[in-house]
Amino acid sequence: MTSIKLNNVSLVYRLFEKLTLSAPGRRRSALGGNIARSGTKQVVQALDDVSFELKAGDRLGLVGPNGAGKTTLLKVLYGIYQPSAGTVSIAGKVDALFNISIGFRPEATGRRNIVLRGLISGWTLAEIEEKVEEIIDFSELGDFIDLPFKAYSQGMAARLAFAAATALEPEILLMDEWIGAGDASFQEKAKRRMDELAEKAGIIVLASHDDALIQRVCTKRMVLRNGRVESLT
Amino acid sequence: MIAALNGAFDDISKAVRLHRVWVALAHEDIGDQHRRTTLGPLWMLVNYFAFVGTFVFVFVTKDASDPSYIAYVAIGMLVWFYLTETITMSVSLFQREASFIQGTTLPLFVYVMRLTMQCIIRAGYSLAGCVLILLLGSYGINSNWLMSLLGLLLIILATPALVTVFAFLGAFFPDSEFIVGNMMRVGMFFTPVFWVYSGQQGIQKYAYHWNPFTYFLESVREPITAGIFPMHALAVTGYFCLGLWALALLLLGLYRKRIVFLI
Ligand SMILES: Nc1ncnc2c1ncn2[C@@H]1O[C@H](COP(=O)(O)OP(=O)(O)OP(=O)(O)O)[C@@H](O)[C@H]1O
Ligand SMILES: [Mg+2]
Repeated sequence: MTSIKLNNVSLVYRLFEKLTLSAPGRRRSALGGNIARSGTKQVVQALDDVSFELKAGDRLGLVGPNGAGKTTLLKVLYGIYQPSAGTVSIAGKVDALFNISIGFRPEATGRRNIVLRGLISGWTLAEIEEKVEEIIDFSELGDFIDLPFKAYSQGMAARLAFAAATALEPEILLMDEWIGAGDASFQEKAKRRMDELAEKAGIIVLASHDDALIQRVCTKRMVLRNGRVESLT
Repeated sequence: MIAALNGAFDDISKAVRLHRVWVALAHEDIGDQHRRTTLGPLWMLVNYFAFVGTFVFVFVTKDASDPSYIAYVAIGMLVWFYLTETITMSVSLFQREASFIQGTTLPLFVYVMRLTMQCIIRAGYSLAGCVLILLLGSYGINSNWLMSLLGLLLIILATPALVTVFAFLGAFFPDSEFIVGNMMRVGMFFTPVFWVYSGQQGIQKYAYHWNPFTYFLESVREPITAGIFPMHALAVTGYFCLGLWALALLLLGLYRKRIVFLI
């Protein structure tokens, strides 16, 4: 059964302080995030005691000001970051869309990039073979698919990235501000696909500053501020 | 300690299952480096010939066509180029892969194998050049080449460990990128790549005996230039290889989850 469960998760980024002769005055930032010091290092507490639980069919929208910890939380869920404290337990096959261009090689064609992306996500060659045409259809890139990725517009890149990430029907899909670049018709299409995914008892976590989008797509909404959960409804 | 080793083996076995990824990426890398050039990867061959040629013509004073010296330099350059390239590229490995490391959950060892693969493919071109030189220099293919192959195999076996160790070094101490880069450039003169050691005293003596690279080179070179089984060189290289692997496993086990925060 697909599920996500976080218990008291905290995450601290440690930064090595650069040597400097001037003494900078500290200003309080209106944005999220906490800067603190430990010994000689600066640390940023990006997540602070975050606990929540999601079950099959849930679509969670993450909102909060810049620096609130949304991206960090998604990366913890994906397994890129190990939390500094607390536990994460995840059941289900996870795929993620962070930065459109991650995992895409500018010099390779769109088609080749689909293959590479598939390999990176751990698909077998047979699965890739089977999905390539479907991904190309969904992205509506047509002949552009055989052009190098660097020749794509942002929206075209976003289409390809979204089509590839959702093609293998991940049980859990994590998305970070992905959709802005797509045009209206593609956003509509993407929304339908996310509905399908969620109906198949998947979980979607979507971070965005676009309230309308969150309202359209999500069933739950979590507000993060300074790395803490402010509300979850 | 046990947990660290388990973690390291876990990372490695995941990476082995993903072997298609690093093979594909390594090929892309080679392709990218030579895209839009006419000769493509053959430039590596040209580069190799240029270096061997230069050293042979500059340093052979007595008899410019001494075939044994040509073979000496040809093999020395082959191994030295391979090691320098591997080491200097390793130090910045994790920084170069930052976008992948911060955006995917691929095991770190995938990047290590990707670079290993890339270095081996590139060395393949120099190897072809080296074999050509040996054949032209009337070193026919004989059983000595098999012994030489043993040395090459050992070096290839050591490569992933070498990459891992230097990649972690580069991630933890960014300055090492420049230190290592300079050391490898100078190192060529402190390693018997193009000079021959025949019992000289002083610096050359130490540079010969206390330099691990000497043994990497000699275990490939001695069988062909001297026709002997390089027992001593192979043993030292072997121990070095084991040590490197132990260190690599330890680093991978203890620190692989930290890398993403460091780059
Ligand atoms: N690699 C990093 N090193 C150090 N600090 C970081 C790093 N990444 C993020 N932070 C800090 O962690 C906090 C949370 O950042 P995060 O990227 O998760 O915010 P976000 O909610 O995604 O913001 P945005 O809306 O701008 O995308 C911020 O204070 C940020 O400065
Ligand atoms: Mg963000």
